[in-house]
Amino acid sequence: METAIKINNLTKVYKDITAVDNLNLEIYDGELFALLGVNGAGKTTTIKMLATLTKPTSGDALIFDSSILKDEDKIKEVIDVSMQETAIARKLTVEENIDFYAKLSGQSNEELQETKEKIIESFELSKVLKKQASKLSGGWQRKLSIALALVSKPKILFLDEPTLGLDVIARRELWKTINELKGKMTIILTTHYMEEAEALSDRIGIMKDGKLLFVGKKEELFEKTGKNNVEDAFIEIVSGGELL
Amino acid sequence: MKQSLSRIFILMKRNIKEILRDPLSLIFTLAMPLFMEILFYLLFHKLTAQFEMKYLAPGIVVFAQSFIALFVGLLIAVDRSTSFLTRLYVSKTKSFEFIFGYALSIVPIVFVQSILFFLVGGIIDASIFSISMIYAILLSLVTSLFFIGIGILLGTICSEKSIGGISSIVIAGQSVLSGMWFPIEGLGEGMINFMNCLPFRNATLLIQNTMNGINDTFNDFVLPLIIVLAYTIVVFIVAIIMFKKKMKDK
Repeated sequence: METAIKINNLTKVYKDITAVDNLNLEIYDGELFALLGVNGAGKTTTIKMLATLTKPTSGDALIFDSSILKDEDKIKEVIDVSMQETAIARKLTVEENIDFYAKLSGQSNEELQETKEKIIESFELSKVLKKQASKLSGGWQRKLSIALALVSKPKILFLDEPTLGLDVIARRELWKTINELKGKMTIILTTHYMEEAEALSDRIGIMKDGKLLFVGKKEELFEKTGKNNVEDAFIEIVSGGELL
Repeated sequence: MKQSLSRIFILMKRNIKEILRDPLSLIFTLAMPLFMEILFYLLFHKLTAQFEMKYLAPGIVVFAQSFIALFVGLLIAVDRSTSFLTRLYVSKTKSFEFIFGYALSIVPIVFVQSILFFLVGGIIDASIFSISMIYAILLSLVTSLFFIGIGILLGTICSEKSIGGISSIVIAGQSVLSGMWFPIEGLGEGMINFMNCLPFRNATLLIQNTMNGINDTFNDFVLPLIIVLAYTIVVFIVAIIMFKKKMKDK
Protein backbone atom coordinates (compact mmCIF):
# COMPACT_ATOMS: atom_id res chain seq x y z
CA MET A 1 0.00 0.00 0.00
CA GLU A 2 1.40 3.41 -0.97
CA THR A 3 2.13 5.84 1.84
CA ALA A 4 0.19 9.09 1.63
CA ILE A 5 1.52 10.72 4.80
CA LYS A 6 4.68 9.93 6.71
CA ILE A 7 5.07 11.82 9.96
CA ASN A 8 8.56 11.94 11.50
CA ASN A 9 9.08 13.16 15.08
CA LEU A 10 6.54 15.96 14.62
CA THR A 11 6.41 18.31 17.61
CA LYS A 12 4.57 21.53 18.33
CA VAL A 13 5.23 23.57 21.45
CA TYR A 14 3.13 26.61 22.37
CA LYS A 15 4.97 28.59 25.06
CA ASP A 16 5.05 26.03 27.89
CA ILE A 17 2.52 23.56 26.43
CA THR A 18 3.60 20.70 24.18
CA ALA A 19 0.53 20.24 21.97
CA VAL A 20 2.07 17.50 19.84
CA ASP A 21 4.95 15.49 21.24
CA ASN A 22 7.30 13.65 18.91
CA LEU A 23 4.60 12.13 16.71
CA ASN A 24 5.52 9.31 14.32
CA LEU A 25 2.86 7.89 12.06
CA GLU A 26 2.25 6.53 8.59
CA ILE A 27 -1.09 6.90 6.81
CA TYR A 28 -1.78 4.95 3.64
CA ASP A 29 -3.24 6.17 0.39
CA GLY A 30 -6.99 5.67 0.19
CA GLU A 31 -7.59 4.84 3.84
CA LEU A 32 -9.81 6.63 6.32
CA PHE A 33 -7.73 7.25 9.40
CA ALA A 34 -9.51 8.41 12.56
CA LEU A 35 -7.51 10.35 15.09
CA LEU A 36 -9.13 10.07 18.51
CA GLY A 37 -8.47 11.96 21.69
CA VAL A 38 -10.09 14.05 24.37
CA ASN A 39 -10.06 17.84 24.10
CA GLY A 40 -6.49 19.15 24.05
CA ALA A 41 -5.01 15.83 22.94
CA GLY A 42 -3.30 17.47 19.95
CA LYS A 43 -5.55 16.26 17.12
CA THR A 44 -6.34 19.66 15.61
CA THR A 45 -2.75 20.88 15.98
CA THR A 46 -1.59 17.77 14.12
CA ILE A 47 -4.03 18.45 11.30
CA LYS A 48 -3.02 22.12 11.16
CA MET A 49 0.64 21.16 10.81
CA LEU A 50 -0.10 18.59 8.10
CA ALA A 51 -2.28 21.11 6.26
CA THR A 52 0.58 23.66 6.39
CA LEU A 53 -1.50 26.03 8.54
CA THR A 54 0.95 25.88 11.45
CA LYS A 55 4.71 25.37 11.39
CA PRO A 56 5.98 22.53 13.57
CA THR A 57 8.48 23.34 16.29
CA SER A 58 10.53 20.34 15.19
CA GLY A 59 10.19 17.25 13.05
CA ASP A 60 8.66 16.98 9.60
CA ALA A 61 5.97 15.18 7.64
CA LEU A 62 5.99 14.04 4.05
CA ILE A 63 2.79 14.21 2.05
CA PHE A 64 3.27 12.13 -1.07
CA ASP A 65 7.00 12.70 -0.54
CA SER A 66 6.66 16.50 -0.24
CA SER A 67 7.83 18.08 3.01
CA ILE A 68 5.43 20.26 4.98
CA LEU A 69 8.44 22.45 5.79
CA LYS A 70 9.79 22.93 2.28
CA ASP A 71 7.11 22.14 -0.28
CA GLU A 72 4.07 24.07 0.93
CA ASP A 73 2.83 24.90 -2.58
CA LYS A 74 3.11 21.28 -3.78
CA ILE A 75 1.21 20.09 -0.73
CA LYS A 76 -1.54 22.65 -1.24
CA GLU A 77 -2.19 21.09 -4.65
CA VAL A 78 -3.18 17.75 -3.15
CA ILE A 79 -4.90 18.56 0.15
CA ASP A 80 -8.00 20.28 1.42
CA VAL A 81 -9.40 20.76 4.85
CA SER A 82 -12.71 21.11 6.63
CA MET A 83 -12.14 22.57 10.08
CA GLN A 84 -14.39 22.33 13.14
CA GLU A 85 -16.12 25.61 12.40
CA THR A 86 -18.26 25.82 9.28
CA ALA A 87 -16.20 27.47 6.55
CA ILE A 88 -18.59 28.90 3.99
CA ALA A 89 -19.26 32.28 2.41
CA ARG A 90 -22.44 33.06 4.31
CA LYS A 91 -24.08 35.55 1.97
CA LEU A 92 -23.44 33.49 -1.17
CA THR A 93 -25.85 30.83 -2.33
CA VAL A 94 -24.84 27.17 -2.19
CA GLU A 95 -24.17 27.23 -5.94
CA GLU A 96 -22.13 30.44 -5.71
CA ASN A 97 -20.06 28.89 -2.92
CA ILE A 98 -19.21 25.91 -5.13
CA ASP A 99 -18.42 28.17 -8.10
CA PHE A 100 -16.24 30.39 -5.90
CA TYR A 101 -14.07 27.54 -4.60
CA ALA A 102 -13.84 25.87 -8.01
CA LYS A 103 -12.72 29.08 -9.69
CA LEU A 104 -10.27 29.84 -6.90
CA SER A 105 -8.70 26.41 -7.35
CA GLY A 106 -8.12 27.34 -11.00
CA GLN A 107 -10.73 25.17 -12.71
CA SER A 108 -11.88 26.03 -16.23
CA ASN A 109 -15.59 26.53 -16.91
CA GLU A 110 -15.94 22.98 -18.26
CA GLU A 111 -14.15 21.50 -15.25
CA LEU A 112 -16.23 23.66 -12.94
CA GLN A 113 -19.48 22.37 -14.42
CA GLU A 114 -18.32 18.78 -14.08
CA THR A 115 -17.16 19.32 -10.48
CA LYS A 116 -20.39 21.09 -9.59
CA GLU A 117 -22.59 18.31 -10.94
CA LYS A 118 -20.61 15.67 -9.02
CA ILE A 119 -20.68 17.64 -5.76
CA ILE A 120 -24.39 18.39 -6.04
CA GLU A 121 -25.14 14.74 -6.68
CA SER A 122 -22.85 13.32 -3.97
CA PHE A 123 -24.09 15.68 -1.29
CA GLU A 124 -27.71 15.90 -2.52
CA LEU A 125 -27.46 19.69 -2.69
CA SER A 126 -29.90 20.24 -5.57
CA LYS A 127 -32.80 21.23 -3.33
CA VAL A 128 -30.79 23.95 -1.55
CA LEU A 129 -28.69 25.09 -4.50
CA LYS A 130 -30.19 28.59 -4.79
CA LYS A 131 -30.46 29.14 -1.04
CA GLN A 132 -28.17 31.59 0.73
CA ALA A 133 -25.72 29.61 2.86
CA SER A 134 -26.53 31.58 6.02
CA LYS A 135 -30.15 30.48 5.76
CA LEU A 136 -29.35 26.76 5.78
CA SER A 137 -29.72 24.66 8.94
CA GLY A 138 -26.56 23.80 10.91
CA GLY A 139 -26.50 20.30 9.41
CA TRP A 140 -26.75 21.58 5.84
CA GLN A 141 -24.11 24.23 6.48
CA ARG A 142 -21.70 21.59 7.75
CA LYS A 143 -22.53 19.37 4.80
CA LEU A 144 -21.83 22.26 2.43
CA SER A 145 -18.60 23.04 4.29
CA ILE A 146 -17.38 19.47 3.75
CA ALA A 147 -18.62 19.47 0.14
CA LEU A 148 -16.57 22.61 -0.52
CA ALA A 149 -13.44 20.85 0.71
CA LEU A 150 -13.91 18.41 -2.18
CA VAL A 151 -14.30 21.03 -4.88
CA SER A 152 -10.52 21.27 -5.35
CA LYS A 153 -10.44 17.47 -5.92
CA PRO A 154 -7.93 16.76 -3.12
CA LYS A 155 -6.01 13.49 -2.82
CA ILE A 156 -5.98 13.98 0.95
CA LEU A 157 -8.89 15.39 2.91
CA PHE A 158 -8.60 16.52 6.53
CA LEU A 159 -11.87 16.51 8.43
CA ASP A 160 -11.56 18.10 11.85
CA GLU A 161 -14.51 17.13 14.07
CA PRO A 162 -16.89 17.08 11.08
CA THR A 163 -20.02 16.27 13.08
CA LEU A 164 -19.36 18.37 16.19
CA GLY A 165 -22.58 19.96 17.45
CA LEU A 166 -24.87 18.26 14.93
CA ASP A 167 -28.05 16.41 15.88
CA VAL A 168 -28.15 12.65 15.50
CA ILE A 169 -29.94 12.67 12.13
CA ALA A 170 -27.59 15.24 10.60
CA ARG A 171 -24.66 13.27 12.00
CA ARG A 172 -25.84 10.00 10.45
CA GLU A 173 -26.41 11.72 7.12
CA LEU A 174 -22.85 13.05 7.19
CA TRP A 175 -21.54 9.59 8.07
CA LYS A 176 -23.27 8.27 4.98
CA THR A 177 -21.62 10.96 2.85
CA ILE A 178 -18.19 10.37 4.38
CA ASN A 179 -18.59 6.62 3.91
CA GLU A 180 -19.24 7.19 0.22
CA LEU A 181 -15.96 9.10 -0.05
CA LYS A 182 -13.98 6.19 1.38
CA GLY A 183 -11.50 4.71 -1.06
CA LYS A 184 -11.70 7.70 -3.39
CA MET A 185 -9.14 9.69 -1.39
CA THR A 186 -7.17 9.53 1.84
CA ILE A 187 -9.23 10.92 4.70
CA ILE A 188 -7.87 11.93 8.08
CA LEU A 189 -10.71 12.49 10.48
CA THR A 190 -10.42 13.79 14.01
CA THR A 191 -13.28 13.18 16.38
CA HIS A 192 -14.09 12.59 19.99
CA TYR A 193 -17.22 10.64 19.10
CA MET A 194 -16.09 7.02 19.49
CA GLU A 195 -18.99 5.56 17.54
CA GLU A 196 -18.02 7.81 14.63
CA ALA A 197 -14.53 6.36 14.49
CA GLU A 198 -15.95 2.85 14.86
CA ALA A 199 -18.42 3.32 12.01
CA LEU A 200 -16.16 5.07 9.55
CA SER A 201 -12.48 4.33 10.00
CA ASP A 202 -10.12 1.79 8.51
CA ARG A 203 -7.54 2.48 11.21
CA ILE A 204 -7.55 4.41 14.46
CA GLY A 205 -4.92 6.50 16.22
CA ILE A 206 -5.41 7.48 19.87
CA MET A 207 -3.72 10.62 21.19
CA LYS A 208 -3.36 11.93 24.71
CA ASP A 209 -1.36 14.99 25.81
CA GLY A 210 0.18 15.25 22.36
CA LYS A 211 1.43 11.67 22.33
CA LEU A 212 0.21 8.83 20.14
CA LEU A 213 -0.73 5.96 22.44
CA PHE A 214 -2.15 3.50 19.91
CA VAL A 215 -2.30 2.97 16.13
CA GLY A 216 -4.06 0.10 14.44
CA LYS A 217 -7.32 -1.42 13.23
CA LYS A 218 -10.27 -1.57 15.61
CA GLU A 219 -9.90 -5.33 15.87
CA GLU A 220 -6.33 -4.80 17.07
CA LEU A 221 -7.59 -2.19 19.55
CA PHE A 222 -10.17 -4.63 20.91
CA GLU A 223 -7.57 -7.35 21.14
CA LYS A 224 -5.09 -5.11 22.92
CA THR A 225 -7.57 -3.84 25.49
CA GLY A 226 -9.85 -6.85 25.82
CA LYS A 227 -12.89 -4.68 25.08
CA ASN A 228 -15.48 -5.07 22.37
CA ASN A 229 -16.27 -1.46 21.49
CA VAL A 230 -14.13 1.58 20.64
CA GLU A 231 -15.41 3.70 23.54
CA ASP A 232 -14.39 1.22 26.26
CA ALA A 233 -11.14 0.48 24.47
CA PHE A 234 -10.41 4.21 24.19
CA ILE A 235 -11.05 4.76 27.91
CA GLU A 236 -8.87 1.78 28.73
CA ILE A 237 -5.99 3.22 26.67
CA VAL A 238 -6.36 6.85 27.78
CA SER A 239 -7.06 6.30 31.48
CA GLY A 240 -5.23 3.04 31.91
CA GLY A 241 -8.50 1.38 32.88
CA GLU A 242 -9.06 3.59 35.91
CA LEU A 243 -12.41 4.87 34.67
CA LEU A 244 -13.89 1.48 33.73
CA MET B 1 0.90 36.93 -12.34
CA LYS B 2 -2.13 35.99 -14.45
CA GLN B 3 -3.21 33.46 -11.82
CA SER B 4 -2.78 36.05 -9.06
CA LEU B 5 -4.95 38.59 -10.91
CA SER B 6 -7.55 35.93 -11.55
CA ARG B 7 -7.66 34.97 -7.84
CA ILE B 8 -7.87 38.64 -6.79
CA PHE B 9 -10.81 39.12 -9.18
CA ILE B 10 -12.59 36.01 -7.83
CA LEU B 11 -12.11 37.16 -4.23
CA MET B 12 -13.23 40.67 -5.16
CA LYS B 13 -16.47 39.44 -6.72
CA ARG B 14 -17.25 37.36 -3.67
CA ASN B 15 -16.54 40.24 -1.27
CA ILE B 16 -18.75 42.66 -3.20
CA LYS B 17 -21.64 40.17 -3.03
CA GLU B 18 -21.10 39.62 0.70
CA ILE B 19 -21.16 43.35 1.44
CA LEU B 20 -24.04 44.29 -0.86
CA ARG B 21 -26.23 41.46 0.43
CA ASP B 22 -25.98 42.83 3.95
CA PRO B 23 -28.79 45.41 4.22
CA LEU B 24 -27.01 47.14 7.12
CA SER B 25 -24.02 47.94 4.94
CA LEU B 26 -26.27 49.65 2.40
CA ILE B 27 -28.02 51.62 5.15
CA PHE B 28 -24.78 52.83 6.74
CA THR B 29 -22.71 53.45 3.62
CA LEU B 30 -25.43 54.98 1.43
CA ALA B 31 -28.81 55.69 3.02
CA MET B 32 -27.75 57.24 6.31
CA PRO B 33 -25.06 59.62 4.95
CA LEU B 34 -27.49 60.65 2.19
CA PHE B 35 -30.16 61.40 4.77
CA MET B 36 -27.64 63.43 6.79
CA GLU B 37 -26.56 65.35 3.71
CA ILE B 38 -30.13 66.43 2.94
CA LEU B 39 -31.10 67.04 6.56
CA PHE B 40 -28.07 69.12 7.55
CA TYR B 41 -28.32 71.16 4.37
CA LEU B 42 -31.98 71.93 4.94
CA LEU B 43 -31.50 72.78 8.61
CA PHE B 44 -28.27 74.72 8.63
CA HIS B 45 -27.12 75.94 5.23
CA LYS B 46 -28.44 79.44 5.82
CA LEU B 47 -26.93 79.63 9.28
CA THR B 48 -23.33 78.69 8.54
CA ALA B 49 -21.16 78.31 5.44
CA GLN B 50 -20.07 74.94 6.85
CA PHE B 51 -23.28 73.38 5.58
CA GLU B 52 -23.42 74.95 2.16
CA MET B 53 -23.55 72.10 -0.33
CA LYS B 54 -20.13 72.88 -1.78
CA TYR B 55 -18.60 72.00 1.61
CA LEU B 56 -21.21 69.54 2.88
CA ALA B 57 -21.24 67.15 -0.13
CA PRO B 58 -17.43 66.57 -0.14
CA GLY B 59 -17.51 66.25 3.65
CA ILE B 60 -20.26 63.64 3.51
CA VAL B 61 -18.33 61.70 0.85
CA VAL B 62 -15.36 61.30 3.21
CA PHE B 63 -17.59 60.79 6.27
CA ALA B 64 -19.38 57.90 4.50
CA GLN B 65 -16.00 56.36 3.72
CA SER B 66 -15.36 55.98 7.45
CA PHE B 67 -18.22 53.44 7.53
CA ILE B 68 -16.34 51.48 4.88
CA ALA B 69 -13.70 50.72 7.53
CA LEU B 70 -16.42 49.09 9.63
CA PHE B 71 -17.78 46.90 6.84
CA VAL B 72 -14.41 45.76 5.49
CA GLY B 73 -13.32 45.02 9.04
CA LEU B 74 -16.51 43.14 9.79
CA LEU B 75 -16.22 41.03 6.64
CA ILE B 76 -12.64 40.01 7.46
CA ALA B 77 -13.40 39.39 11.15
CA VAL B 78 -16.35 37.14 10.22
CA ASP B 79 -14.25 35.32 7.60
CA ARG B 80 -11.66 34.65 10.29
CA SER B 81 -14.09 33.52 12.96
CA THR B 82 -15.94 31.09 10.67
CA SER B 83 -12.75 29.40 9.41
CA PHE B 84 -13.59 30.64 5.92
CA LEU B 85 -10.13 32.21 5.72
CA THR B 86 -8.47 29.12 7.19
CA ARG B 87 -9.83 27.11 4.30
CA LEU B 88 -8.59 29.68 1.81
CA TYR B 89 -5.15 29.64 3.45
CA VAL B 90 -4.93 25.99 2.40
CA SER B 91 -5.47 27.08 -1.21
CA LYS B 92 -2.68 28.70 -3.20
CA THR B 93 -4.01 32.18 -2.50
CA LYS B 94 -1.27 34.49 -1.21
CA SER B 95 -1.67 37.11 1.51
CA PHE B 96 -1.32 40.06 -0.91
CA GLU B 97 -4.09 38.53 -3.06
CA PHE B 98 -6.40 38.48 -0.03
CA ILE B 99 -5.56 42.12 0.75
CA PHE B 100 -6.16 43.25 -2.84
CA GLY B 101 -9.32 41.14 -3.01
CA TYR B 102 -10.74 42.93 0.03
CA ALA B 103 -9.47 46.40 -0.94
CA LEU B 104 -10.56 46.39 -4.57
CA SER B 105 -14.02 45.06 -3.75
CA ILE B 106 -14.69 48.33 -1.92
CA VAL B 107 -13.60 50.69 -4.68
CA PRO B 108 -16.81 50.32 -6.78
CA ILE B 109 -18.88 50.94 -3.63
CA VAL B 110 -16.87 54.10 -2.88
CA PHE B 111 -17.35 55.22 -6.47
CA VAL B 112 -21.13 54.80 -6.17
CA GLN B 113 -21.08 56.65 -2.82
CA SER B 114 -19.23 59.64 -4.26
CA ILE B 115 -21.41 59.91 -7.38
CA LEU B 116 -24.59 59.59 -5.31
CA PHE B 117 -23.68 62.23 -2.70
CA PHE B 118 -22.38 64.70 -5.30
CA LEU B 119 -25.32 64.10 -7.61
CA VAL B 120 -27.92 64.59 -4.89
CA GLY B 121 -25.95 67.62 -3.65
CA GLY B 122 -26.03 69.00 -7.19
CA ILE B 123 -29.76 68.41 -7.52
CA ILE B 124 -30.28 70.39 -4.29
CA ASP B 125 -27.80 73.11 -5.22
CA ALA B 126 -27.00 73.10 -8.94
CA SER B 127 -24.15 75.60 -8.46
CA ILE B 128 -21.82 72.81 -7.32
CA PHE B 129 -21.93 71.09 -10.73
CA SER B 130 -18.58 71.65 -12.46
CA ILE B 131 -15.69 69.77 -13.98
CA SER B 132 -14.03 69.95 -10.53
CA MET B 133 -16.71 67.58 -9.26
CA ILE B 134 -15.31 64.84 -11.51
CA TYR B 135 -11.81 65.44 -10.11
CA ALA B 136 -13.23 65.34 -6.57
CA ILE B 137 -14.97 62.02 -7.31
CA LEU B 138 -11.73 60.53 -8.65
CA LEU B 139 -9.75 61.85 -5.71
CA SER B 140 -12.27 60.39 -3.26
CA LEU B 141 -11.14 56.96 -4.48
CA VAL B 142 -7.67 57.86 -3.17
CA THR B 143 -8.92 59.04 0.24
CA SER B 144 -11.04 55.87 0.55
CA LEU B 145 -7.85 53.78 0.52
CA PHE B 146 -6.99 55.06 4.00
CA PHE B 147 -10.33 53.84 5.41
CA ILE B 148 -10.10 50.56 3.47
CA GLY B 149 -6.62 50.01 4.97
CA ILE B 150 -7.94 50.74 8.46
CA GLY B 151 -10.79 48.27 7.85
CA ILE B 152 -8.38 45.53 6.74
CA LEU B 153 -6.15 46.16 9.75
CA LEU B 154 -9.02 46.14 12.25
CA GLY B 155 -10.60 43.06 10.65
CA THR B 156 -7.26 41.27 10.93
CA ILE B 157 -6.64 42.02 14.59
CA CYS B 158 -10.15 42.37 16.09
CA SER B 159 -12.77 39.74 16.78
CA GLU B 160 -16.21 39.72 15.17
CA LYS B 161 -17.66 41.03 18.45
CA SER B 162 -15.19 43.84 19.08
CA ILE B 163 -14.92 45.19 15.54
CA GLY B 164 -18.12 47.28 15.78
CA GLY B 165 -16.96 49.16 18.86
CA ILE B 166 -13.42 49.71 17.65
CA SER B 167 -14.54 50.85 14.16
CA SER B 168 -16.80 53.40 15.78
CA ILE B 169 -13.63 55.14 17.03
CA VAL B 170 -12.63 55.66 13.39
CA ILE B 171 -16.12 56.93 12.54
CA ALA B 172 -16.08 59.26 15.55
CA GLY B 173 -12.55 60.35 14.57
CA GLN B 174 -13.71 61.28 11.11
CA SER B 175 -16.75 63.12 12.52
CA VAL B 176 -14.94 65.14 15.16
CA LEU B 177 -11.41 65.54 13.82
CA SER B 178 -12.38 66.36 10.24
CA GLY B 179 -14.03 69.57 11.41
CA MET B 180 -16.85 69.07 8.93
CA TRP B 181 -19.68 69.32 11.44
CA PHE B 182 -18.58 72.48 13.27
CA PRO B 183 -16.42 75.57 12.59
CA ILE B 184 -12.93 74.88 13.91
CA GLU B 185 -11.97 78.54 14.25
CA GLY B 186 -13.14 78.54 17.87
CA LEU B 187 -10.77 75.70 18.80
CA GLY B 188 -7.37 76.23 20.35
CA GLU B 189 -4.27 76.40 18.14
CA GLY B 190 -2.94 73.15 19.58
CA MET B 191 -6.12 71.29 18.72
CA ILE B 192 -6.15 72.67 15.18
CA ASN B 193 -2.51 71.65 14.69
CA PHE B 194 -3.35 68.18 16.01
CA MET B 195 -6.27 67.88 13.56
CA ASN B 196 -4.02 69.06 10.73
CA CYS B 197 -1.55 66.27 11.46
CA LEU B 198 -4.19 63.55 11.17
CA PRO B 199 -5.63 62.10 7.95
CA PHE B 200 -9.30 62.80 8.79
CA ARG B 201 -9.26 66.59 8.31
CA ASN B 202 -6.79 66.37 5.44
CA ALA B 203 -8.96 63.87 3.53
CA THR B 204 -11.96 66.18 3.91
CA LEU B 205 -9.97 69.31 2.95
CA LEU B 206 -8.53 67.53 -0.08
CA ILE B 207 -11.95 66.77 -1.54
CA GLN B 208 -13.44 70.13 -0.51
CA ASN B 209 -10.55 72.11 -2.02
CA THR B 210 -10.51 70.05 -5.22
CA MET B 211 -14.21 70.70 -5.59
CA ASN B 212 -14.18 74.39 -4.75
CA GLY B 213 -10.92 75.55 -6.28
CA ILE B 214 -7.30 75.52 -5.22
CA ASN B 215 -5.66 78.84 -4.43
CA ASP B 216 -2.42 77.65 -2.89
CA THR B 217 -1.41 74.43 -4.65
CA PHE B 218 0.93 73.25 -1.90
CA ASN B 219 -1.18 74.00 1.16
CA ASP B 220 -4.60 73.32 -0.37
CA PHE B 221 -3.74 70.20 -2.34
CA VAL B 222 -0.21 68.76 -2.17
CA LEU B 223 0.20 68.81 1.63
CA PRO B 224 -3.20 67.22 2.46
CA LEU B 225 -2.58 64.63 -0.28
CA ILE B 226 0.87 63.77 1.10
CA ILE B 227 -0.50 63.43 4.65
CA VAL B 228 -3.39 61.18 3.55
CA LEU B 229 -1.12 59.05 1.36
CA ALA B 230 1.50 58.74 4.11
CA TYR B 231 -1.09 57.44 6.60
CA THR B 232 -2.55 55.15 3.92
CA ILE B 233 0.85 53.62 3.13
CA VAL B 234 1.67 53.08 6.81
CA VAL B 235 -1.76 51.56 7.51
CA PHE B 236 -1.48 49.19 4.54
CA ILE B 237 2.05 48.09 5.48
CA VAL B 238 0.94 47.33 9.05
CA ALA B 239 -2.22 45.58 7.75
CA ILE B 240 -0.21 43.37 5.39
CA ILE B 241 2.30 42.47 8.12
CA MET B 242 -0.50 41.62 10.57
CA PHE B 243 -2.47 39.68 7.96
CA LYS B 244 0.62 37.62 7.06
CA LYS B 245 1.28 36.99 10.73
CA LYS B 246 -2.31 35.81 11.27
CA MET B 247 -2.02 33.57 8.21
CA LYS B 248 1.05 31.90 9.70
CA ASP B 249 -0.52 31.65 13.17
CA LYS B 250 -3.53 29.82 11.76
